[in-house]
Amino acid sequence: MPIIDRQKINQEIEKLKFKFGADRSALLPMLQDLQEKYGYLPDIILQETAHALGIHPVEVEGVASFYSFFRTKERQGKYVIRLCQTISCDLAGKTNTARQLENELGIKFGDTTRDHLFTLAYTNCLGMCDQGPALLINDRLFSRVTPDKVSQIIADCRRDFLKSEFPEVVPSDIKKTGPILDNKIEAVEPLKKALSISRSEIIGVIRDSGLKGRGGAGFPTAIKWQLAGAAKGDKKYVVCNADEGEPGTFKDRMLLYEKTGLLLDGMTIGAYAIGASKGFIYLRSEYLYMRKYLEKALDKRRNQNLLGNNILQKEGFNFDIEIRMGVGAYVCGEETALIESLEGYRGEPRNRPPFPVDTGFQGNPTIVNNIETFITAALIVGKDSDWFKKLGTEKSRGTKILSVSGDCERPGIYELPFGITITKLLKEVGGENAKAVQIGGASGQCIARKDFEHTIAYEDIGTGGSVIIFGPDRDMLQVAENFLEFFVEESCGQCTPCRLGNPKLLEGIKLLKQGKCSVAYLNELKKLGETIQLASKCGLGQSSPNAFISIIENFGSEILGRIPQEEF
Amino acid sequence: MAKILIVDDDEDFVTAVALVLKKNNFEVSTAHSLEEGMEKFETSHPDLVLLDVIMEQPDDGFVMAQTLKKRSSSVPILMLTNIGQVTGMDFGKDEELAPVDDFIQKPIMPSKLLEKINLLLKK
Repeated sequence: MPIIDRQKINQEIEKLKFKFGADRSALLPMLQDLQEKYGYLPDIILQETAHALGIHPVEVEGVASFYSFFRTKERQGKYVIRLCQTISCDLAGKTNTARQLENELGIKFGDTTRDHLFTLAYTNCLGMCDQGPALLINDRLFSRVTPDKVSQIIADCRRDFLKSEFPEVVPSDIKKTGPILDNKIEAVEPLKKALSISRSEIIGVIRDSGLKGRGGAGFPTAIKWQLAGAAKGDKKYVVCNADEGEPGTFKDRMLLYEKTGLLLDGMTIGAYAIGASKGFIYLRSEYLYMRKYLEKALDKRRNQNLLGNNILQKEGFNFDIEIRMGVGAYVCGEETALIESLEGYRGEPRNRPPFPVDTGFQGNPTIVNNIETFITAALIVGKDSDWFKKLGTEKSRGTKILSVSGDCERPGIYELPFGITITKLLKEVGGENAKAVQIGGASGQCIARKDFEHTIAYEDIGTGGSVIIFGPDRDMLQVAENFLEFFVEESCGQCTPCRLGNPKLLEGIKLLKQGKCSVAYLNELKKLGETIQLASKCGLGQSSPNAFISIIENFGSEILGRIPQEEF
Repeated sequence: MAKILIVDDDEDFVTAVALVLKKNNFEVSTAHSLEEGMEKFETSHPDLVLLDVIMEQPDDGFVMAQTLKKRSSSVPILMLTNIGQVTGMDFGKDEELAPVDDFIQKPIMPSKLLEKINLLLKK
């Protein structure tokens, strides 16, 4: 083990304090930089960082051990290979890729090669669900990694990716465009228009459009902005939730890259409307490769006076955006957990009330919106609300950008109007033979064929964008197991129903697979699932047993088939 | 006799406040939603509006205040909030987004309410 010089670390920490600030919110970016340099976060680094920020070392240890991308016990390899283990990559054959990686490197998942060149790890959703199996090597993403490609990728690593044939940024596969993806409006135009009207008029246009949050919960955007704007506070914040971690969702990755200007317009318009002077893009660590690109876009806007002081000569309107990286925690997609993470704490959801619009980042009024919401808001302000109101249903206006993966002929990104039936959606994507569709990711619902006439809409089946299709031969118990493994790993552990309930459900699934679960016990598990839905603290915990319950209800015959005969 | 319009979706609250105001020689009209509030504003021509923030939508009170401001109404608005009770939200004056004259927190002490109303009417 290499010797780490305390004095040298302290010098580096001082530099990082200068770069990120000396308050608690600097903790995560500081640890990220230190891990990048030293390969892991040994006790000495945690202690010295704690000392420098004036917090207890146990607090720092608590933060470092919470996030899956931090490593405290062992120096990781020069190349950390993270293979996506979530459902879409599982359907695409990730298990065979995993075995090939282990064979090639001679280590198991979770281990590091003796030469400290490679570490093998599983990770959850990399946002490449339509191009799986996917893996991440440091900040470089690889798609469609079938076992035959493994040795080439390993060889590329050994050559430090010199002359690699794999693309640096994997292109998104957009299959169907609509008014959002097709729009010809230049970024900056919506912002110019917004600055020419009053703040109440901006919120009025958005209210009139009926825009609801695109992250999945569907809270009206205008109300969020209005409440934050009217809330007392000298400092207000705008946060873009770019922590797209829901399995089966990959449209935000495309929007970040393809619609960057409109996203930054939307955030700046939001800032103007509520009176904020600072914004954050909370970018998931799996999208680290996009950071440089986004930094460049922010710099360009600063040079064009689209960020900074007196934006576009609007006296007194000062606003800038900072990128903050997540560290591999699904729960940070929940807005209060995200704020905790931004502040340098474990990403554990807060109690509500108070709400972020009143008590958000560092206790100040904050709006947290999804990437798609900011882009759509910018387009509504830039044009008007008529085009938007004409599409969708009365309660779910406009179009939704969907990420379609799984067993269909044409997986990819689709922009479709709200209100489309699942039958029509399946026809569009070439998945007519599906026996089930998971809408809304791991926390969504598993819809069986009998319910395919239901529509995708907030008032019927809501979604943040994830659509995973299961063909006739898929084992639904396997699907339920994958989702529960995901929640067992990603539960923040704060509340008991979610922390202990989900492992119990997973245990039940394993018993079911062995034919050792009785009907009575299965009913008990269902009741436990309902208790988790009722008693968990945050929205993610409350929705964690959704897939399990809907699979048990819709595919009972498949499940019951594994119960020992004597139980009937 | 000054006329006061109370707009709040909580019927019990409206009844109780109306009782206090009538007892203190105010003429009172009431509404329980944003739409009804706008209608009553047109018909009852109040001298002051007592307006709740959260009704059918969490920001209905602000929408009504903004609409009245757009119509160049000079009728003072006293906004009812419930800090720490339901939403925990604390609102402040904002010429555009919260164009009201003053705030009063629920639960309301009748004497405090009358004091604020009289002050705004004098202005």
